[in-house]
Amino acid sequence: MPALLELQRAMGRALLAPSAPDAQTLGFEASPAFGVYRNTCLGTLTQALALSFPAVRRLVGSAFFESAAQAFIRAHPATSACLNDYGEQLPAFLAHYRHAAAVTYLADVARLEWAVNRALHAADVEALDVASLAKLDAAAVPALSFVPHGAVTVLRLERPADVIWRAVLDGDDAALRALDPDAGPVWLLIGRSAAGVEVRRMTALAGVFTQRLCAGEPLQAVLDATAASIEPTGGESMADALNAVLADHLASARFTSWRIGEQAS
Amino acid sequence: MLESTGIEGQAGPIPAAAGIGLRFPHHELVLQTHPAVPWFEVHAENYFGGGSARRTLEAVRRDYPLSLHGVGLSLGSAEGLDRSHLERLAALVQSIEPALVSEHLAWSVVGGRYLADLLPLPMTEEALAVVCAHVQQTQERLRRPILLENPSSYLTFAHSSIPEWEFLAAVVNRTGCGILCDVNNIFVSASNHGWDALKYLNALPAQAIGEYHLAGHAVCTLENGREVRIDNHGSRVAPPVWALYEQALRRLGPRPTLIEWDTDIPALDVLLDEAALAGDRLRSSATRSHACAA
Repeated sequence: MPALLELQRAMGRALLAPSAPDAQTLGFEASPAFGVYRNTCLGTLTQALALSFPAVRRLVGSAFFESAAQAFIRAHPATSACLNDYGEQLPAFLAHYRHAAAVTYLADVARLEWAVNRALHAADVEALDVASLAKLDAAAVPALSFVPHGAVTVLRLERPADVIWRAVLDGDDAALRALDPDAGPVWLLIGRSAAGVEVRRMTALAGVFTQRLCAGEPLQAVLDATAASIEPTGGESMADALNAVLADHLASARFTSWRIGEQAS
Repeated sequence: MLESTGIEGQAGPIPAAAGIGLRFPHHELVLQTHPAVPWFEVHAENYFGGGSARRTLEAVRRDYPLSLHGVGLSLGSAEGLDRSHLERLAALVQSIEPALVSEHLAWSVVGGRYLADLLPLPMTEEALAVVCAHVQQTQERLRRPILLENPSSYLTFAHSSIPEWEFLAAVVNRTGCGILCDVNNIFVSASNHGWDALKYLNALPAQAIGEYHLAGHAVCTLENGREVRIDNHGSRVAPPVWALYEQALRRLGPRPTLIEWDTDIPALDVLLDEAALAGDRLRSSATRSHACAA
């Protein structure tokens, strides 16, 4: 008679294995019924991925999606019963999934869909109180850093995944045909507002700046890195442009708190 | 002791009437049309995050009694409860103040992996001790009793030594939890394992029953030719399950009753029709018991 933990470990391995388990070792009386549990386990996780990655599923078709999902589930089993959190590693998995290599933009669409999924489900957290920033000593501002809201993601994608994503979900074949998948990288800002999930294009300048801010780097380091990474362009100064970007992030509740060394909001 | 007309939760009782599961495809319609349903039940894990799903739940909670039904706490896991899962459940319970909180007599987590199904436990003293410890831990954290649902199952273990109905009654005795009596699950498991469904019902402690579940199930044939009933929540309640529900009302009394429908989710009206069928039976059972009392 197996101890409960031993039995559960064996059943866990058997559920995720491609072949049927040895009923004798598990102590089952009716082993063919084990397949009912395997079908539910794989089916529920596949369905969770399909809900979070609807455009990926449409791009590859449901049969391909199911087989890719099963390979993914075996390589990256769920670690939480909150299935809205499941699938973070799917974009990286698809990037190396050789059966999908022909769909060059698939992993980028998956990256966008994961960001959209986060924007949909991230916990509600109060935005930082912008008035609290006004009281800061100017000398401290270079060390100022921010904590982004869990709904916010910045992505630099090699392919125009935002256009592909919208066209696929809208069933807009004309837009898909008109698209140049090799038009160059795009910077996207994904978040949510009262109106719902937002997917916006950013300039490379705003993208580099926002990505580093969201990584929690201090403001001066972010400005230096942004300046170093972007070729200067004419017109508006970089400082003015970044001031406007930062003001928009603050007004749009994309940060939940700030920090300067040990001091925090 | 649980009241026969519904349970006093932090937010008031759910009436002994027929509610429905609130699922995403119906969110907008429910908010717009405010259907005449006595109460709603939701899967707790779907609302662990924020955003529009949480806003909808809060809006529904303002207008209807609500039951939180957990599907992933894994009370039967030998390795212990996932504390972060319990904390997220506790935060949701604190914020939503549901009238009922329920979970399953099952397990779904091992080695930190969530296996996305309500897996069967061997009915042993060891499993009984594990489930009781976890029900107690959950009730202490949530600061309220929970209801424990009987599972549907497709296989049994050679080393099981306690009938499932006795196992449930023992958990009630040791922890003070209530029972969510899933009538379809009793029918499905009894059919699959050759149990006597009425004997199962009779063995349950009536005063502990806090809710009934009703759902549709499918009949499939396995590779070995054996027929198995699968609890897929994907159709109308089957006639023999309605008959068993009438027996449950007679033997255990009227309680809040939920129509569950999770796959191939139909139009809201179909769910409301099905709930009305349960409501008719609840009302006639209440009339009968009043007649007896008089």
